[in-house]
Amino acid sequence: WLLNPLPMAVSSRGNAEALVALLVLATLYWVEAGSVGKAAVCYGLAVHMKIYPLTYALPIALRLRTRPRRGEGALDAGGDKMAKVTFMARLWHLFVKMLNRDVLLFGMVAGSVLAALTVAFYHLYGWEFLEHAYLYHLTRRDIRHNFSPYFYMLYLTAESKWSFALGLAAFLPQLLLLLVVSIAFYRDLAFSCFLHTTIFVTFNKVCTSQYFVWYLCLLPLVMPSIKMSWRRGVLLLFLWFIGQGLWLTPAYFLEFKGYNTFLFIWLAGLLFLSINSLIIVQIISHYQKEAQAAKKLKQQ
Amino acid sequence: CVALDVQAACRDTAVTQELLKEGFHRDLLVKVELGEDAGGCAVAARTRLPPGIYVDPYELATLQQHNLTKAVLSPDVIDLEAPEYLARDVLLLLFLEPDPRCSRCFRAAVPVHARYHRPAEGTEEAVVVLESPEVLLCCCHGRLSAECWEPAEVDTPCSSDSTGSCQWHSTKHSPACEESMLRVPVGLREHSSLVCALTLLTTGLCSGLILAAACKYGHF
Repeated sequence: WLLNPLPMAVSSRGNAEALVALLVLATLYWVEAGSVGKAAVCYGLAVHMKIYPLTYALPIALRLRTRPRRGEGALDAGGDKMAKVTFMARLWHLFVKMLNRDVLLFGMVAGSVLAALTVAFYHLYGWEFLEHAYLYHLTRRDIRHNFSPYFYMLYLTAESKWSFALGLAAFLPQLLLLLVVSIAFYRDLAFSCFLHTTIFVTFNKVCTSQYFVWYLCLLPLVMPSIKMSWRRGVLLLFLWFIGQGLWLTPAYFLEFKGYNTFLFIWLAGLLFLSINSLIIVQIISHYQKEAQAAKKLKQQ
Repeated sequence: CVALDVQAACRDTAVTQELLKEGFHRDLLVKVELGEDAGGCAVAARTRLPPGIYVDPYELATLQQHNLTKAVLSPDVIDLEAPEYLARDVLLLLFLEPDPRCSRCFRAAVPVHARYHRPAEGTEEAVVVLESPEVLLCCCHGRLSAECWEPAEVDTPCSSDSTGSCQWHSTKHSPACEESMLRVPVGLREHSSLVCALTLLTTGLCSGLILAAACKYGHF
């Protein structure tokens, strides 16, 4: 990670992504190690620094809910019985049982840390802090070119009556995917968070290189679980860079030479989305940790 | 630009304004040749930037720290991300340095950036028009000829010595000047339906693929 050129380049532009990555990793580490309190403190701090870790609340809550505890058998044994019940009943059972002691502790500690930090900084900087840290994201309308597939659509419809509906239409796939992925993979927290962030960034209305660091920092954690041939991995990486290159070229001509390359940028954005989706699908289909985890639980 | 109505005792002041480089990030170069000696006065150019372009105040602060440019913006709070139709005019007061090319020449450059404009129908570009700048002199000893120069109203204090005797002056005869133009690429409204349809279709397809993979390989 220290020698990875991408975080080097991103961090040198004045973003403290490395700090947020550290806090996120610390949170995941403490959750896996069983120290809910410490994890919650790191999580609160991470959300204060950057809002995106807020999306990890669902996978973490689901994970905390299913950690085997003293005196209780592995909850997965209970899960097997559930297989006979309908899917909706299982879903309901999942969310209703979410509020166990660990989840409540996590929520309270993280919430308190975040609230305390917000109050402290409001004290130091006043209304300006609230505006720039949180409120700004609600009213921000940045329609300039970026990697997002939605960029041109939002730019062209910025002032039309469809603008709100289209914004919502752009938000729904992201939300649905995040929910499904959390429920499908919460047993492996690192993998779940990795998929979470990748999907969040790929389907977001604004996407810049800086956001890639958010999921790349989790890649070393999930790589051992992904049984993919070396060649396939390199090919996917190559495709990812090609996708970026094909976007950066017309973007350079637009911004620094003044040519009207909007259509090319838009098409390159769609291509980049497709490449990212292909990579995500490949990662999901080659994921093979469950076999080892199931073995461990049976041995306990 | 040359002052049209030239009086016998008043020599011409020539002002030129150029936009260097290409694309969205340009350099605004202002060159002034005074009709007579500045006499130790500071020379500045005041120009109104339309909403289509802006000066980055943070970039300006860095340049001023390195003594490369000296300028004042008003208002000094600028929304860097706003599109042209949501932005306001900005008044730029640019202090000029003596130009080594000739004795009464002054010049300065400041980086400017173009904003995104509304998408257009039938044309691929929007045009930003920059009016010619006004030449201002800041004099602390009142040795300017009253035929050519008159006191001017400027918000920014003339100099850092607050002895109170320094005053801004502008030319009595404003030169009629050619405006500078900046062409900015814009999106085309004709593309709207195609872009919306294809974008939503592609994102729908991609999310469907990921959904299918998650349902197939996920552990529910």
